[in-house]
Amino acid sequence: MIDFKTFQLDNGLKVIFHQDKNTPLAVVNLLYDVGAKDEDENRTGFAHLFEHLMFGGSKNIPNFDTPLQRAGGECNAFTSNDITNYYNVLPAENVEMAFWLESDRMNELAFTEKSLEVQRGVVIEEFKQRYLNQPYGDVWLQLRPLIYKKHPYQWATIGKSIEHIEEAKMEDVKSFFYKHYSPQNATLVVGGNLELEEVKKLSEKYFSPIPKREKYLRKIQPEPPQNEERRLTIERDVPSNALYMAFRMGGRLSYDHYYGDLTSDILAGNKSSRLYNELVVKTKLMSSVSAYITGGVEDGLFLISGHLNPEASFEQVERVIWDVLSDLMEKNIQPQELIKVKNKLKTRKVFGEKSLLNRVMNIAFYENLGQLDEINADLSKYDQIMAEDITQFAQRTFSRLNSSTLLIQTKK
Amino acid sequence: MEFNQPSYSLPTSLPLQFPELIELENGIELYVLKDDNDDAVKLDIEWSAGSKYQSKNLIASFTNKLLLSGDDVMKASEIAEKLDFYGGYFQHEIDRDHAGIALFGLKENMSKIFEIFTQAFMNCTFPADQLEKERAVALSKFQIANKKVKHQCVKAFNQGVYGEKNPYGRAATEADFGRIEREDLLAFYKQFYLNGKPTLFLVGNVDDDFIRQLRDWSSLMVSKPVNYELEPLEQKTGHDHVIVPGAVQTAVRIGRLFIDKKHPDYFQVQLLNTLLGGYFGSRLMSNIREDKGYTYGIGSAITVMEDAACFFITTEVGSEVVKDAIQEVKNELSKLINIEIPEDELTVVKNYMAGEFLRNADGAIAQMENFKNIHFNQLPQSYYSDYLEAINTAQPSDLKKLAEKYFQFDDMLVVTAGA
Repeated sequence: MIDFKTFQLDNGLKVIFHQDKNTPLAVVNLLYDVGAKDEDENRTGFAHLFEHLMFGGSKNIPNFDTPLQRAGGECNAFTSNDITNYYNVLPAENVEMAFWLESDRMNELAFTEKSLEVQRGVVIEEFKQRYLNQPYGDVWLQLRPLIYKKHPYQWATIGKSIEHIEEAKMEDVKSFFYKHYSPQNATLVVGGNLELEEVKKLSEKYFSPIPKREKYLRKIQPEPPQNEERRLTIERDVPSNALYMAFRMGGRLSYDHYYGDLTSDILAGNKSSRLYNELVVKTKLMSSVSAYITGGVEDGLFLISGHLNPEASFEQVERVIWDVLSDLMEKNIQPQELIKVKNKLKTRKVFGEKSLLNRVMNIAFYENLGQLDEINADLSKYDQIMAEDITQFAQRTFSRLNSSTLLIQTKK
Repeated sequence: MEFNQPSYSLPTSLPLQFPELIELENGIELYVLKDDNDDAVKLDIEWSAGSKYQSKNLIASFTNKLLLSGDDVMKASEIAEKLDFYGGYFQHEIDRDHAGIALFGLKENMSKIFEIFTQAFMNCTFPADQLEKERAVALSKFQIANKKVKHQCVKAFNQGVYGEKNPYGRAATEADFGRIEREDLLAFYKQFYLNGKPTLFLVGNVDDDFIRQLRDWSSLMVSKPVNYELEPLEQKTGHDHVIVPGAVQTAVRIGRLFIDKKHPDYFQVQLLNTLLGGYFGSRLMSNIREDKGYTYGIGSAITVMEDAACFFITTEVGSEVVKDAIQEVKNELSKLINIEIPEDELTVVKNYMAGEFLRNADGAIAQMENFKNIHFNQLPQSYYSDYLEAINTAQPSDLKKLAEKYFQFDDMLVVTAGA
């Protein structure tokens, strides 16, 4: 059970406080409602590059990290297709330092050429390290445009190509900042060993002078239903053949999200799951298999992926996967199996909520989804799922016409 | 809008919690840290069964991976099915020195989860088809890892820094995967697990019945101490390069054999390591990432194992700037040796480290990890408060002397892996 109190500043900034008396720490988390999906298709990778620039100094503070570290704190951030999230973890008595730093960079960045030049270089190396210089590293760069033809989910947060990052200009940086980094477009969550009154006072002091800016209204073209089987085979210098199968499904706000999550556990969540048993244990066609959902806000994906053993063919593996999926579509799962995946999920949830940082981030995600009131209802949503729900989810999701399959073949 | 920088204060003591020791049968120790904030329970069972004890490559890790692979009565799939049904998770844990299993579950299911675990663990026969499955899985993982420049670099570095003959320096080859026999696993399992002496670490809110269950199990263990003969360490210096065709980045590792946690210089040398490459604002990050943009990340660390310790700097850089990056590392090391650390920078590092102690002590599971560090390294209970004290009182002149002693580039081995 996660407790919280909410209030809003006059400039539109939403603030949420989560008290935890058992920790000496405080977390200050700022979520901006901007992700790679808000980028121009000719300038991709920008939301993520921008996240790097947020550490390059703000109007009155030349360096973000040093004052925070001097107060015993640590910070980091990440960008996804949907959001950009910044967090600071520091001794609770020094929480004001994080307010000072975060508010100054929300007010105005320093916009220095040096910072832009260096971070372009850093992000290009990140592109190489994570996407080009790893076996199977470019999977999502290939898979996204296969699945999405209209929606900006067709590119990864790192961007479509290194060129887009090389071409980023200061004027783009400035307009991106004023468009997306406004108080109305952010959620501030403060957690830890603090009192509500203190958090209110600090929020007012540091964030209320920041002017309201024009509210960004998102206009994203939805992706039409798929209705065709899509396949792509590529050759790479990798040690084993690999398969990625993606199915479109409802997004994070739909019930599909919960059905899909449980279904992924039934298929490949653990060593007693169906695909693991068929592919890794019984037929030994694969050395690994996994199933998961992406949880995108606008549109969801159900993924099945894995590596093939040397003698196995793609045809054999695909046949087994489709057999397992058909079985799920034809027969309701047994009560025992449903209880099993629900029990696993319950354990996962309890352990997941042990960390203050996780709880604080979760609050920010739910608020950004407009679902903060539902944050403690998740377990009961999973609990209410019945065998028929899973069958019906499988029936409307696992069809060939709704599938995109990427095969990675080892170079001979 | 403009505000003055807020004031701040730093912890002078740490909110440490130590577990209670409960002696089980056969001299087996159980450490318990109560945590009644929620129903989560974690039980770690660790043996002296790490890879340094194996006489053939991969035997320790395969034995550990297959501990719950079943027998004639209960098959691996049944074990998994039952554990899953009670919402239990288990994690295989192995390093060079220790190996074991961590069990995770909710309070109300823990007794069942442990019962399934012990039944599987005590009767494991390492069935042939399970070994074949694991061989395929592990080989595939090994082949994928081998494609990574970082992995190639770590392997060559460990060989060079500990010596090829030392168990810490040895690495498996692809051919080793074909040589693993069921008998090897059975023998290792008997000697190091069944006849070995486990230590148990329990975090959560369990009742006396559960402790009794652990005690009953401990009475079945033989609990013989393990004999282990130390192998000599032999470090190279100079520069080794591993060719990885087609790589667009080069992995770099620079380091040397080092002092362990009991050494009087250790705390302040850790401070030097943090300042050099142990946090985001470190000199290596500031110079090589934030000023030059050569890399996505660079860092340094000290690894301490039972019989050896090592300091290393690690990064992956664009292949065209490898030389420049190594030169910058060299420059940073000589700066550390030749120029006293400015007071302001030293304060930032000291304070960051104090905050890091708090972050690492947040929650009972983290507190237990801290205790395991004390326990396995045979350190005094005052270790963390001594550490904080040593950091807070460190002086630039002393640190300069320590840098001179421990951070000479010429004492280090450089390994690169890339095109």
